[in-house]
Amino acid sequence: MLRFSAIALAALLAFGHPAGAEDKPTLTVYTYDSFAAEWGPGPALKSGFEATCGCTVTYVSAEDAISALRRVQLEGATTKADAVVGLDTFIAGDARATGLFAPHGIDTSGLSFPWTDPDFVPFDYGYFAFVYNKEKTPNPPASFEDLIKLPASFKIVVMDPRSSTPGLGLVVWIKDAYGDRAAEIWSGLKPHILTMSRGWSEGYGLFLKGEADMALSYTTSPAYHALAENDTRYAAATFSEGHIAQVEVSGILKSSPNQDLARSFLAYMASPEGQKAIPQTNWMYPVIDLGAELPEAFGTPPTKQLPVDEATVTANRNAWIEEALAAIR
Amino acid sequence: MPRSASRVIPPRPLRLAGGAAIAVAIALLIGTTFWSILSAATGQPTAGSSTDIGYLIYITTLQAALSTVFSLIVGVALAWALNRLRFPGRTLVIGLFASAIVTPGIIVAFGLLAVWGRSGWLGGLGVPVFGLGGVVAAHIILDAAFAARILLARLDAIPEARLKTGQSLALSPWTRFANIDWPAIRGTLPGLAAIIFLLAFTSFPIVLLLGGGPAVQTLEVAIYAAARLDFDLVMAVKLALIQIALCSAIILASSALAPISTSLDRPAEPRWRDAGAAHVLQWLVLALALFGFAAPLLAVLADGFRGLGDVLTDRGFWGAALTSVLVGAASALLALVLGLLIAAARAATTSRVARVAIGAPAYAYLAVPAVALALGAFLFVRNLGVTPDAAAPLIVVIANALLSLPFVMAALAPLFEAIAQSRGRLIRSLGLGGVRQFTAIEWPLLARDVGLVLALSFCFSLGDLGVIALFDTQDFVTLPLLMVRALGAYRTNDAATIAALMLLLTIGAFITLPALFERLSRART
Amino acid sequence: MLALDAVTFGYGSKPTYDFTMEAVAGEVTAIRGASGSGKSTLLDLIAGFLEPASGTIRIDGNTVNHLPPEQRPVSILFQSETLFEHLTAARNVALGLPHPDPARVAAALAELNLGDLGNQRAATLSGGQKQRVALARTLLRDKPVLLLDEPFSALDDETRAATRTLVQSLTRKQKWATVLVTHHADDIGAIADRVYRLESGRLETL
Repeated sequence: MLRFSAIALAALLAFGHPAGAEDKPTLTVYTYDSFAAEWGPGPALKSGFEATCGCTVTYVSAEDAISALRRVQLEGATTKADAVVGLDTFIAGDARATGLFAPHGIDTSGLSFPWTDPDFVPFDYGYFAFVYNKEKTPNPPASFEDLIKLPASFKIVVMDPRSSTPGLGLVVWIKDAYGDRAAEIWSGLKPHILTMSRGWSEGYGLFLKGEADMALSYTTSPAYHALAENDTRYAAATFSEGHIAQVEVSGILKSSPNQDLARSFLAYMASPEGQKAIPQTNWMYPVIDLGAELPEAFGTPPTKQLPVDEATVTANRNAWIEEALAAIR
Repeated sequence: MPRSASRVIPPRPLRLAGGAAIAVAIALLIGTTFWSILSAATGQPTAGSSTDIGYLIYITTLQAALSTVFSLIVGVALAWALNRLRFPGRTLVIGLFASAIVTPGIIVAFGLLAVWGRSGWLGGLGVPVFGLGGVVAAHIILDAAFAARILLARLDAIPEARLKTGQSLALSPWTRFANIDWPAIRGTLPGLAAIIFLLAFTSFPIVLLLGGGPAVQTLEVAIYAAARLDFDLVMAVKLALIQIALCSAIILASSALAPISTSLDRPAEPRWRDAGAAHVLQWLVLALALFGFAAPLLAVLADGFRGLGDVLTDRGFWGAALTSVLVGAASALLALVLGLLIAAARAATTSRVARVAIGAPAYAYLAVPAVALALGAFLFVRNLGVTPDAAAPLIVVIANALLSLPFVMAALAPLFEAIAQSRGRLIRSLGLGGVRQFTAIEWPLLARDVGLVLALSFCFSLGDLGVIALFDTQDFVTLPLLMVRALGAYRTNDAATIAALMLLLTIGAFITLPALFERLSRART
Repeated sequence: MLALDAVTFGYGSKPTYDFTMEAVAGEVTAIRGASGSGKSTLLDLIAGFLEPASGTIRIDGNTVNHLPPEQRPVSILFQSETLFEHLTAARNVALGLPHPDPARVAAALAELNLGDLGNQRAATLSGGQKQRVALARTLLRDKPVLLLDEPFSALDDETRAATRTLVQSLTRKQKWATVLVTHHADDIGAIADRVYRLESGRLETL
């Protein structure tokens, strides 16, 4: 029965037209799993959008956004995806180079920061940081070098930069902060790395289970525990090197038969109504000014922020990943 | 006096044709999948890959070698202990170890985490679970138990006369082992080592879960990563070809060795206990092995039952369970039919070339990486314009059938050979045709083992992750995929429950199917 | 009636064997010779497992050289491996017929005094019982020629005597041309109507 619905869905999308007046078009969005999960922003955005679009939104989850991108690449012309949500500015260059994405054509003048990318639309941003449990780790490291100096029993969970945007973010972060010494830092981290998970959820889950002392995440992650779970034990370690920002973006696929619908969805995600749903489900900063709507627990962005040039990242991504992986082998 | 061997075996042209057709089909399948990957790979910009092939071969081999060596050591010790000891429930314990080969790797990996992980039962001991140690440990748990079961059968088969001689000479435990036990198991060790090495070399789910990152991988995981993470198809092909070359070399080298009998007869009755320290050591070995093997599985069951309600009420779970059972049944039947046809065909000829040509493709799965096969199939159907979701069920069933085919062959082929060789003249003189030979003679002999073969294939299919992970389908979900997704989505409790239910299903199938066929075969004769 | 006329066989340029013999219906023809003298080769040639270099083999007047073993009107009793161990006695006997016929199987078993052993697995039968099951099967097949390749070697003296007497009585009753290959003198003395000695690759009447 499930298989028939898959074939039916594929047929429907392949022809691109609803079979009858009562069949609503389906917008298929590829994204990472914690976005589409019940506790993520997916459901709220879905119901909000469906109320006005006369369509059905379907999420297809991958472990992380880069996996979603690879999936689209692998599926080629037979892909069902109309849009990919959850890429970031570090992988955007690569995504653009695949030639699979269409210009979004959305007016981005209302965002709280200038935005010039014609192919991808932002929907939230955050700052990478290592999250720890205040009770178990009363004296967290205050920099990468501090972390390296800790005994080998201090374990961290990071993500695979080939499949995960936070994973890639860490590579960029270390490279940005240390330049030529990046490989040295990675070697120093090697004994501490418990595992390099394929996606953020898996790694963060291991940390919460107690398997590791710290996990790569965002400065805003503790806000989730404080507000949604009433659990104030978690905090983000501030590193003296500074932190880098990750802007999450979405794109429309050229192969999609529902490009206008996808466009409306991405615009909805950047609209005040859509943006309201994001902070307390994705636990990232909104891209428009929500004023008092943003909870206090989110705190202020880190004082020291490292600038990142997207073009440099795109050009060197593979080399930097290779350097990092070689150092920890 | 040499005899004209070709006239001893009944002529069976149809069987030969059938076997040859299947061999060609399998070879074509593999060829097509590689062609699809290659044609998709041409025109791909190789923008510098992040895969160090030399290191990969090194780490895959190292991990497999360590797994093999330790598995054999533990296996020999455990077989030794089981051969000497007698206690109530011994048959059950032996059966437990025999089932190791079908226990899904992801469950063992998960169980290891549940017991030895920092937050597990024995977390305080600080035993490293991720990385090389964890991967090798998981392999040892599965392969040592399997090795122990095979070696125990050899020890139990030592002729009574030899034992009685040794006992009357009052041999010490060590002398006894060196002079009586070792010669009995020595011949089996190389073949066993080859199998365990191949299993560890091509390991996927365990390495995926416990590897801990790029530092510890197998070629198969690297192929998966190249295809799904890097989208570097050229690298995927390169790695796949390397794996085929290496594994084929190992298979060819080990095919010269004596075949391993997988007969599971009842142990001999009279026994000669070892005295004193050796006896205590045997109990210690048994206890440790039981603990090492059973603890992770029990942890999975215990952890799993906590969240039972959530999983059982999830419609997705039942869908996945049904899918897994159907796929398992289909692939088990397919594997049985293929195995029967190939084994029958191989026994119908004495030409060495023909025998190798017909029999070799059955062992394809051991040499060709499943992930590469899946990737090729994925790309092939994609080129045809068929969505992977639609084609996935068929491909998964075929791939899973190929997965268990080597074991089906190992179990059934000797029977066909034995009948052809030892009763070939009788069959010819009685003028029995091919069909009658099968229905009247071969099937009654096979019936008992068919249950075991079906159970084996079903369980392998149940626990398979490689193919379905690559397809990553949305509407066609099996239990392993569901479990890995739950793990990835921070629903570790759900994952534990799914693992527990999978384990129960595996145990259930492994016990009931052979027993069922045992009953059926006895009823007929 | 079985007749071999200058049937030669051998490896290399010169044939090692040159057989000429006759076996009459209703009689037991014994072939005597030392171990390794070629007795089994002779039986293989008659049964069709080996092809002679030259000469003819005739059964009831028809030349059978070109017939494969399946089609030769010959039954064989081996020393061992003459039954399928995993099948019951009845099933083994049933293999003597092209189509299942429980009544005839039961009759054959009864004739050989195996009436209550029909449902027993062949592996559990004694040596003598196994040979009798094989004879029951032969009875059903009822081919004009019966070849026996040292069928009594594994039996104790008493059973051996009983079994060979059985062979003799069946041979007479069914008018089989029975060829008995053996190296035991007492078998020959007890039931043989005609004796050949196999020496230096040739058969000599005694």
